Formats: sequence, structure tokens, C-alpha cells
Amino acid sequence: MAEIALSPPLSAFAALARHGRHGRAEGPAGVVVEELRGLALATVIARKGRAADLAAACRASFGVEPASTPRRTAKDGLAVVWSGPGQWLAVAEKGHPLTAGGADGLADALRGALAGLASVTDQSDARGALRLSGPRVRDALAKGLALDLHPRAFRPGDAASTWCALIDVQLWQVDAAPTYDLLVARGFAGSFWHWLEASAAEFGLEVR
Amino acid sequence: MRITCPHCGERGNEEFAYLGDATVRRPDDAGAARPGAPEFERWMDYVYLRDNPAGRHRELWQHVHGCRAWLVVTRDISTHAIFSVEDARAAALARPSLVARDAAS
Amino acid sequence: MTRSETPSPLPFRLPAGGLIDRSTEIRFSFDGRSYAGHPGDTLASALLANGVRLVGRSFKYHRPRGLLSAGPEEPNGLVELRAGARREPNTRATVAELYDGLEATSQNRWPSLRFDLMSLNQLAAPILSAGFYYKTFMWPAALWEKLYEPMIRRAAGLGRAAEAPDPDRYEKATAHCDVLVVGGGPAGLAAALAAARTGARVILADEDFRLGGRLLAEAQTIDGRPALEWAALAEAELEAAPEVRIFRRTTVFGAYDHGAYGAVERVNDHVATPPAYEPRQRLWRFVAERCVLAAGAIERPLVFPGNDRPGVMLAGAVRTYAHRYGVAAGREAVVFSTGDDALRTARELAAGGVTVAAWVDARREPPDALREAVQELGAPFYPDGAITAVHGRTSIQAVDIRTPLFQTTLECDLVAMSGGWSPTLHLTSHLGGRPVWDEALGAYRPGAPPPGMSVAGAAAGGMTLRECLATGGRLGLEAARAAGFEGTDAPPPVAWPESAAAATLWRGPTGKGKAFVDFQNDVTDADLELAEREGYRSVEHAKRYTTLGMATDQGKTSGVNAVGILAGLRGQGMAETGTTTFRPPYTPVSFGAMGGHHRGKEFRPTRRTAAHAWAAEQGASFVESGVWLRAEWFTRPGETDWMQSCAREVATVRGAVGICDVSTLGKIDIQGPDAAALLDRLYTGTFSTLPVGRARYGLMLREDGFVFDDGTTARLGAEHYLMTTTTANAGKVMQHIEFALQWLWPELDAQAVSVTEQWAQFAVAGPRSRELLARVVAEDVSNEAVPFMAALPVTLPGGVRGRLFRISFSGELAYEIGAPSSYGEALARALMEAGRDLGVAPYGLEALNVMRIEKGHVAGGELNGQTTARDLGLQKMVSTKKDFIGRVMAQRPALVAPDRPALVGWKSADPSVRVSAGAHFLDVGAAASMENDLGYVTAAAWSAHAGGWIGLGLMKHGPERIGETVRAWDAVRGRDTPVTLCAPCFYDPQGERLRG
Repeated sequence: MAEIALSPPLSAFAALARHGRHGRAEGPAGVVVEELRGLALATVIARKGRAADLAAACRASFGVEPASTPRRTAKDGLAVVWSGPGQWLAVAEKGHPLTAGGADGLADALRGALAGLASVTDQSDARGALRLSGPRVRDALAKGLALDLHPRAFRPGDAASTWCALIDVQLWQVDAAPTYDLLVARGFAGSFWHWLEASAAEFGLEVR
Repeated sequence: MRITCPHCGERGNEEFAYLGDATVRRPDDAGAARPGAPEFERWMDYVYLRDNPAGRHRELWQHVHGCRAWLVVTRDISTHAIFSVEDARAAALARPSLVARDAAS
Repeated sequence: MTRSETPSPLPFRLPAGGLIDRSTEIRFSFDGRSYAGHPGDTLASALLANGVRLVGRSFKYHRPRGLLSAGPEEPNGLVELRAGARREPNTRATVAELYDGLEATSQNRWPSLRFDLMSLNQLAAPILSAGFYYKTFMWPAALWEKLYEPMIRRAAGLGRAAEAPDPDRYEKATAHCDVLVVGGGPAGLAAALAAARTGARVILADEDFRLGGRLLAEAQTIDGRPALEWAALAEAELEAAPEVRIFRRTTVFGAYDHGAYGAVERVNDHVATPPAYEPRQRLWRFVAERCVLAAGAIERPLVFPGNDRPGVMLAGAVRTYAHRYGVAAGREAVVFSTGDDALRTARELAAGGVTVAAWVDARREPPDALREAVQELGAPFYPDGAITAVHGRTSIQAVDIRTPLFQTTLECDLVAMSGGWSPTLHLTSHLGGRPVWDEALGAYRPGAPPPGMSVAGAAAGGMTLRECLATGGRLGLEAARAAGFEGTDAPPPVAWPESAAAATLWRGPTGKGKAFVDFQNDVTDADLELAEREGYRSVEHAKRYTTLGMATDQGKTSGVNAVGILAGLRGQGMAETGTTTFRPPYTPVSFGAMGGHHRGKEFRPTRRTAAHAWAAEQGASFVESGVWLRAEWFTRPGETDWMQSCAREVATVRGAVGICDVSTLGKIDIQGPDAAALLDRLYTGTFSTLPVGRARYGLMLREDGFVFDDGTTARLGAEHYLMTTTTANAGKVMQHIEFALQWLWPELDAQAVSVTEQWAQFAVAGPRSRELLARVVAEDVSNEAVPFMAALPVTLPGGVRGRLFRISFSGELAYEIGAPSSYGEALARALMEAGRDLGVAPYGLEALNVMRIEKGHVAGGELNGQTTARDLGLQKMVSTKKDFIGRVMAQRPALVAPDRPALVGWKSADPSVRVSAGAHFLDVGAAASMENDLGYVTAAAWSAHAGGWIGLGLMKHGPERIGETVRAWDAVRGRDTPVTLCAPCFYDPQGERLRG
């Protein structure tokens, strides 16, 4: 019989994010969303009492110092997002050198650099990632997110793990535009997308 | 209710899961605690016996839809006033006998 | 009535004035009849302008009722708004903004509003007094369900809910601010301005569609110019302030702990159909550092005979209709008042050309200034007087007036009554704050408001405009300062002095006819007397007995009068008699708004596996399992019944090879030097001895000794385990592990994280599963390389890293193969492709269930939170050599008692008779009683292998009675079936197939 092959990987929102304009058609889109595909993700949890050593090792190996508060620190396409006490999510952008051999390359590299200091787990396939922007993005997010995203309360680099429309999410602010990156467990991508489409519809939603 | 997570800041109570009394302590003598033994009674108390003070109380909550840290919330259960929210792991490590046990090991 | 040169076509529309757009006419209908109104009208003002006085029938006696108020406190003017799927019952006409094409229908009448047969209830009034349903319908009890309840419900209904699903959208949202100002009247505007000027983030919410509060309804002057100009300037400044959000048509209905407030914004209730993509209503959670409550005050009716006749209205409402809407509520008015405030009403009426026929003042010695002012209007002034009767049924013809000196009957068609004003303090008591009686004010003032809230203006008892402006400005600034902002004190705007002097009168002289206290629930002063006489001494008890204050208006106009009447009956003061507190919501909130986006298919989020689309293509029928959607079975062409599909899937697995998506099982990655120690404490068994590359079945107990969860855990490395949990408990087990690591044993150096979503996993089961896998996996999968319970990393086509576990739930040679979720769908398709010539087919939960029952594996029916390891025959899995969660409590004598129901298998003697889970085991010949109950069936399935219905159950002494026949008695389905007890394993008990 023929050689068995695997078809290409599918991102979490692949079947949901239909490119183009949705909801209100008049005027510029109030909310712009783009699926971030090909991110490499890994959970990094400090071994007991080794958080400081972990931070130093991370800085030495990757040039990124993990924050001890809900912040995202980044350098050259590699970010470390605080996600709990002693716990971070490492995020490598698509095409980052560490992911040359596949998304799990990030976890391998972290495991190597942080041996004995942290437990590292590949999560590249566990989340769907969206980049959200547009003049009404805060108004749309307020329909599910109870977080205060006012510029006085949440700034570029700030990160949060919270609940949005009854779904666990992790998000951080990318820039002051404002632009937000938001991660959701892959299985919830459909429910989350339906909520986002409904919530952004009155402002006009552009899917890129 | 709004709870100020020591890690994440103030959040609505929908992000938290409630467990209960933070003043009880799990005994560590399971081997000796056979029915009838005094150690067994201590286990019964740990699992079932709870004070229900109309006032200040220490309770375990988890920031389950956030950073997932377990927390010790000290609050007045009549007025809902919250006096402090501590990281449970830090509070647990500060408990006397465990400190002593760690030091000994 | 004086008419100007351009008379309005509407009989009761004043020739000029009002905040309505007279240049635009809009049409609406009430009870099918078409009327005209203007933008700026409410349904109530437009009905009055058209001379429609009769708007509803009362709840119990079906008495004709007209509008009492002009605001949210309205008890009478409840209508069904809109039609069809958008029909909304019990809508207060006084707050329903008029729009072109509005349809409203009166409710609680049959066959028509004017001729209501149910008004015969009035004749039965003697038996419908307070507590009548406790007394009258007591006996015989059998009639309650069939006769009394339906009868009462038909007679005493309110509006009808729509019968079709609501086609509109609703949503929920959160907004944060430093200062929340509730109410957009003078106090609220002043507070918002003061707070906004500090740079604080301010939310100003008002339930009306126009800001201004009382300034819309009264001729007032601020800073020497018309008050509305001041309000317009304030509004413009707030609109321009970058950190201010104004929410119109938004009712803050509840105060919650720690600065959270609930509000409902009626985004599109003022149009027939919301614009595309916009919600009808939006439920807000406001999170505020500080709150200034400036909700104003509600006027109290006076309690006198006939006070519910259409045309008896609150004096403040009468002037609101005149000043704001340009509507005369009548042509000849009598004012009945306990205070000076109604003078504004009299002046407003006179200015509009309405005759003020008399001023009846309940006070013995009203102020001379008031008497003079009234006489200037040409109205006779009757101090120490009362209205003792109202003549007319559906409208007023005349009233009887009595003073100590004389008695007279005066023709009129309008009574403007004022019993004083009660601060709208509801939000101050939502968290338990008790209102405090203020004798000088003649009203309850807010007690201690919740932390972070201050109360301004009339809501605090400061009834004059001056006080509103002064306290609003001061408290707005204080609130901003408390939230960390700086600002300078500014003098308040200037308002004229006015008199808010008022006395209290809880009950006028009794006379002919009912005197109502609670209009909406038809509670009279006589009902309160009865309650008092029958011993309902606490206000709360009297309320419940008479149902006073328990209608949809929550007693806004009746609560204080009721306390006053009870105080009078007992000869006590108000403070000793008590008070009532309020609970959210302040006014009714629709279920639509509370549900928001989460209804229908979006009722709660659902979780889909990576291969969901593939399963759907294969004909899967999905079921919710926890929050996941899982395939129950896959329908093939020609299959008409799920049992057919299920039986085919079982045959495929038993005879060839099947594929089942098991990605939903919880997967927890546990690493660290103490990972093994942690697992030893979580599981009843020992995992520190598990070799790397092997998996083991684990059983977890709760600390109380009952079984919590089970699953297979593999050791991937010396310090690395992968735990699996049941689908339903994945979240709970994760919390349990975090609890153990953070609180119970923080000294352990182990780290746990969920990888459920990272891995898509498929069971590949059946005698040909190895053949299939050999075509997909690069590594050797022979029995030697991958023995039973092996766990190892494998390479999937294209070099993708996968995981392979040789575990079996079906009892066949079986594996679970995992791939990163992005490849989940690809792997499912590859497995199907690889197994095509082997006869592969997907199987679902039902087939899985049949096979696990045949093997006697426990699952949801047995892991029900009430069973112990011993009950399930798993005692051998419980270590006696170590501490683990649940060890001690599981030894409790009652949990090891020999007669606890224990796991047993059963088989139906008659293969044609079905047995279902839930049936109870009874001995043959025993009566179906609690004493004879032996246990129950936990799982049942049709087994082709066994040739009949088989299953598992929990039965007293079950394992000792194997071979005996008992009955499976199923009262729900009306079955009583003999079953033979057997060991809980029907298939390959030696396990040769799964090890082969």
C-alpha cells in the first residue's frame, strides 16, 4: 500500500477565521483580528527555590529576563510571559531560529538551557492565538473580559491570565495602538470565535 | 465580590474557586491513624470538623481562571470585608512544623 | 381650559411647552387603536395626551387603574409592549419611550379593558383578603393542583411572556471607573462635573433617555437662568471630558460587594427593531472605586378611599406630565397634600390652564405662605382636610372633601396627591444597610451605605434643589479625591430657596370604598389591619402575609406607607415598628440581558477536539461530555437506529480494528525531582516503582476516602510522568494537584501543567491494531518492542513527534497514539487510510461503553462519588505501606462494612427484555420497598458477545451471590426483569487478547 503521510498541521482558528469584513459593513473596521499561526509555545515552571537562577539563566541564554509580575518581556521574536507564580509561557514567533526543526524546538532549547532549574513543557499546539487591534477593540473585549484595559490600568507589556466569555484566556498588550495578543485553549477556539464575531459585529470586524 | 489576587491584582469572584477553611491542617500520621486510635480522631476533625464563625475567617480560594495560585483569604464572612489575601504556598511554607521539617532534612 | 390660537389636535396636550418635538408626529397603538404622539413622549404621556386614562386592571380585584406616576415606580400602568416574539409583558408605560409604530396592549383583563369580567372578583373581596390563599384553598388538598392553582393563576396573572424565542441580541459588558454617579439629575450632574474636573474616570448613569432628572419636570432656575440651560451646559462639559462616559437609558439596579454595580442599558428599547448587529439591551457590570448615589426621591401616595381610581395621581407626576410632556392630566384638579412641594404642581397646572378646584392640606396648620400662594391661583384652601371618597369608576367625577368644619363634594377629574417624598435609597441597602427613620424629614434616610458609596441630593433626604447641587458637587469631589485625584472646592451653582416642609399622613379618615396601600398587589389598609390583628407583628411578616411590596414594583410607592400604618395600629413610632430593606434589582431586569451572548448553542462554551471536523465527516453524532463534544456513534448509510451503529462499531473493534478519539481525557504533565513522591501521595497505588517507559492504572481518592478519579499514568523519564484523568474530572484533578503542591506539601519539588490541549490522542483497538500502527509509526511496534502497558515516544510520518501507549479499555489488543493537536485531524485521516484494507472504522462513546462493560471496567456510573475502592473491587490497588490522600478515611468502619453495595456483573435471563441503569436489585418475590432494596444497576448494554443485556451494578453482598437470580426493578420504565448475577467481566477474563 501507499506510504502513509500526515497532511499539514491545522491552526486552531483555521476553519473559523474567514478573511474579510464581518458585521457592520460601513466605515472603517472597528476591530481587526488576525490569527497568529506557527507560534512556538512552552510552559516554564521554576523548580523549587530556583526562580532567581532560572531568570539569570534565561537572560544569559536568550537575552530575556522573565518578569516576576504579570508582564511580558521580549527580545528578537522570543518573549517570556508571566503566567503564575514561578511560571512563564515562552513564545517564539513564527520563523524564530529556535523553531527551525519544528515548534517543539523551543521547548528543547529551553530544556537545555534551564536544566535543573525548570520543568519545560511544549504547548505549541495547545493554544489558538489571535492578534486584536482596531479603534473599538477595547469596547469589543469589554463584552467578555472583566479586565480594565484603560491605558491608565493596562499598558504595553502588561499581561494577564483571566476569563473571557466563560473561557480561560491569556493576553498581553503589544503596543499602545492598542494591539493585544490573546491565547485561548485550542478546544475552545470555536466558542471563543463565535463570541468575538458577535461582540465585534456592531463595530465592524475585519479578519486578516 | 472582588478579590485582590496578590499576583494578578483585583478580579471579580467569578475567577476564583472556593474551597473552605484554611485553619485546618492535614495530619501527617496516616500510618498510625487506625479507627479507634486518637490519631484517627484528629483525621476526622481535619476532614469534617469546621468552625463557622460569624466574622473574621481564613479561607482557601484558588485563582482558578487566572494565575491558578491557591490563596488564603482572610475576610469577615458577615460583612464580606476582605482583610488580606496571601499566596497559599508562601503561607504553607511559613507554617511552623514544615519549616522545622525542612530545616532538619 | 384656555386654548391658544393653535390648538393641539390631541385633547389633553397643552398648547405649548414640554420637551417634546411637536414638529414630528409619530403613531402608536394601544389595544389595537391608533394614537398620535411626539418624539420625547413616553407611552404614558402620549396616552394621557390622547385622553386615555384607563390603562390596566389590578392584579387581584381587576379594578380599573390609571397612571399613578411618571417614573420607574409605576405600579398600575403595566402593559405588554410590542407583539409576537418581541412581546414584553409588565412594561411600565411611564418609562417606555415612544417610537413610531409602538404597539402596546393592556393586560390582566378579559375580554377587554373597559369590560373586564374578572372584575367580579371585587364582589368576592371578602374572601380575597390578606392571606386568602392560605385559608380559602386549604381543603380539600386534592383540588389544589387541579383547580385552585390554575384558577388563581388565570385570574391573577400579569402580562403574557412571548411564546417564540426572542429574535434580538443581548450582551453583557464590564466598565471600570474611579467614580460612578448614579442618577443624572441636579445632584448627579453636579457630582459628575466635580469628579470629572479632577481628571478621574467617571461613569454617569441615568435610567431616563434624557439627563436632568427633576429639572426636566419643574420650572427651576440655576445661576439666574432656566435650570435646563445649566443642565445642558453640564451635559456638554461631561460629553467633552475625555474620561467621562455617560450612560443614558441605563438603570443601575444593584450594588454588590467591593465596588461592583449591576446596570442594564436599554440600547434599543426605544425602536421597534434594533439596528443590525446592535443589541436590544446590554447588561453592565460597573466596577467603581467610589460611587455617588444621586437617585432622587419617590413621592408617596396618600391612603384614602378610592385612591386607586384612574385620575388619582402623584402630584409630582402631574407636574411632570405638564412641564416635561406638555400634557394636562385632567381639566379640573384637586390637590391633596401633606406638604408644600405640591405647590409646584398647582402652579404648573394653573399655568397650563387647568383649573385647580381645591387644595386639601392634611396639616392642621399649613404655612401661611403656602395658603397665600394657593389662593393666588384662585383655588380654595382646606387645611386639616382629607378626601374621603372618590366618585366614578373608570374616571373621576367628583371627590368628597371633609374638614373638621364641613364636608363637601367637589366635581373634578384629577386628584394630585402628595404624601411626601421618600429618598430613593435602594442601592444603599442592597448590602444590608438599614434605612433610618428621620422624623423631621418624614422619611427614611439611607443608613450606613456600602463602603465606597456616598449619597447626594434627594436620595440623602436633601429635598431642595439647593441641597442637591451643594451635596452633589461636594460628594463628587470627595469621591474623586478618595480615588486618588486632586481638585479644588468650588461654590455650588445658585438656586432659589424653596420649601420642602411636609408632614406625614399614613392613612386618611376611613370612608366608603377601599383605600389602597400597594396598588400593584391590591393590598388595602384593611389588609394590613387584618395582618396586625392576626399577629403578624414584624414588618417583614406582615409584608409576606399581605404580599405588600412583593409585586414587580417592589413596593416603591407602598413600603413606607405600610410601615406608617402598622406603626399607627400599634401606637408606636416608625423607628420602633421597623423598616424594610431592598434587594437587587431596583427595577426588573430581563432574562435576555442576564444571559447575554450565552444562550441557545452558546449557552456555555463547548470544547471540540482537533479531529472534530473529521468525526463530523464520518457521520458522528455528538454529545456533550463535560464541556467537550464527543462522538457517540458514527451513522453509516442504511443504519436507522443508534444501536445498529453501535453494534457494528463493537463488531469492528472485536473483529478488526477501530479508532476512537480519546483526546478529551485529561492529560497532566508532571515533572521534577519529587514527581514520583507526589504521585505516590495522590494515588492509592505506588508510582515511584514504575519503570520508565511503562504505564500503570491509578486510582485517586478524595480525602474522605471515596473514589475521586482514575486513569493511566505513564513514566516518560526518571523525573517525568504523564497522568491521564477522566474527561469529566480533568479540571478538578488539576486543581487537586495544585492544592497538593501549593498547600498540602509545598516542600515537594514537582511541577504540574495540563497538556490536554497539546495532544490529540486516539485509541486504536482490535486484533489488527498492531498491523495498522506498523504502517503509521516509524518504530518497531512488535509485542516485544511495545509490550502491554508500554509507553514510548514514536515518530509519525514526516518526522512528527508522537507518543504511543499500549493500553486497552476495550479488552482487545489496543494502543493509544498521540500527536500534537495541530496534527490531530491529519493523524485521524492517516489512521483511517492505513487501516482501510484492515476494515478500520471509527467508534464512539456508546461502543466504548459496551466494551468497557463487557470488560468490567468502572466508569462514570460507578465512579459516582459514593463508592470506595473496596466497593469497586479495587482494594488490591490500595497500598497499605504509604500515606496517600484518602487512606485514613477509607478505613472508617462504615466504609468497610460487609453489607456495603459492591460491584457485581449481571446478565438478563431474557435477552429480549431490556434493563436500564438505575433499576434496583430486589430479591425474587420481595416487595419493592426501601428495606428490601439491595442496590442498583450502574451500567447496562446490549452485548452481542454475551448474547443479551448485561451490565454492572452495586449490590449488597453482590460478589457473594454470584450465580443467583435477582430482579432488576425499574419503576420509572415499568419493568421488572430477572437477572443473573455474575463476576463483573464478560469478555476474555484472562486478558489474553489485550496482551497478545
